[in-house]
Amino acid sequence: MKATQLYQAASHSWLMFGRDEGKPEKIIDTNQYLVKGKGQAVLLDPGGTELFSPMLAAILQHIELQELTTLFASHQDPDIISSLGLWDKALPGATLHAPWLWEGFIRHFGMSNIKYQGIKDEGGDIRLNDISLKLIPAHYLHSSGNFHVYDPQAKILMSGDVGAALEKTNAPIFVEDFGAHVKHMEYFHRRWMPSNRAKANWIARVKELNIEIMAPQHGRLFKGEAVTEFLEWFAKLDVGIAT
Amino acid sequence: MSDKNIVDSFIRVARIIANLDAILAEAKNLSLTAKNARVVALRAGDSASGFKPITNFIDEFSEQTIKTTTHISTLSNQLFKIALEAVRSTQFDIHVGDATILMSTPQLVTLQHKAKLDRQQQTKKLEIALLELESFFEEINKQMRSAEYIAVTSRVEASNAGEFSDSLQSVSDFIASAARTIKQSVTVNLNEIHTLRGTLH
Repeated sequence: MKATQLYQAASHSWLMFGRDEGKPEKIIDTNQYLVKGKGQAVLLDPGGTELFSPMLAAILQHIELQELTTLFASHQDPDIISSLGLWDKALPGATLHAPWLWEGFIRHFGMSNIKYQGIKDEGGDIRLNDISLKLIPAHYLHSSGNFHVYDPQAKILMSGDVGAALEKTNAPIFVEDFGAHVKHMEYFHRRWMPSNRAKANWIARVKELNIEIMAPQHGRLFKGEAVTEFLEWFAKLDVGIAT
Repeated sequence: MSDKNIVDSFIRVARIIANLDAILAEAKNLSLTAKNARVVALRAGDSASGFKPITNFIDEFSEQTIKTTTHISTLSNQLFKIALEAVRSTQFDIHVGDATILMSTPQLVTLQHKAKLDRQQQTKKLEIALLELESFFEEINKQMRSAEYIAVTSRVEASNAGEFSDSLQSVSDFIASAARTIKQSVTVNLNEIHTLRGTLH
């Protein structure tokens, strides 16, 4: 499991975990994000059961286990949160922030100890001592109850499946040539994203934010100009093709 | 207990519960038979006077069997939860073990120790629940042995009941057959429990 630092400040830091070469061949590669504050940390989209061991080993190189007080699940998919039953054993005192809509479903992954904090449709925030991460609604992108995480200080938007690309585990961390990258993400967006209206709403909302890095859950991350290029490309894309 | 064994234990618990339904249905039939037999015995009057206390016995042990089976049913549902906890503890232990192979730190070693302890505790809980379940099934077996004895006695009494003899004879046959069916289901379940307990060590 590769760890890449995305942001470092006195208050907190962002780490991305992914490109796991040890993962079983047929499961989709995922990016997990750790936001580490002073004595508290949150793991964004912790990943599937298959990823629990490498994630645990990787995280413990950066924080003490008791510092990991919070989990966030953007939506209910297994590659996002099927490891919950194992985290529930490792972090019995933790809180999981996830869409209120999915509580009854997510609990099927096993949750006897961790507290479920349902996120209202309009969003909210996650506080880690003096850091505040904004939970941005991204409903129907692709899940009917879906949120992204925005850090106004680090200017990072964790964009879940928006911006995702299906690539090999040795793909670079950042998009270098946007035009060349489109082929890795076009089908994913057209097929997985169901609604042009939801897409347009999300773009309008996200354009209000000051984003330096857009960090999806699969594939490469967008930095600087590539973020704008992505938003322009996504605005023109016709989604929901399987009708 | 290995990951495969603990998942197998789920299937065994499911089989035990499926067999419970058969036991419960048969015990309910026994209770109904006891009520019918009492009516026949009343109609038969003096000629079936020896049959009346027998119907009370049938009623008593069938009610007892229904009660025991209902207890088992509750316990079996708890058993599912306990088995699920044991599965999760086992998986957690295995995954933490894998993480330790990737990187051994004092934190992971402590976590692995905790995981092993939790797994042992959950396995112990499962073992205790299985022992309790076993004792309930032994209890049903005892009740069925009494039923078989009553079936023999009732046959003798039925033969003295004149024109009601055939009706009461069929009651006796039904008791014997129901007791046999219940005992068979209990034997299957006891075997499942023994195998299950064997996998815990």
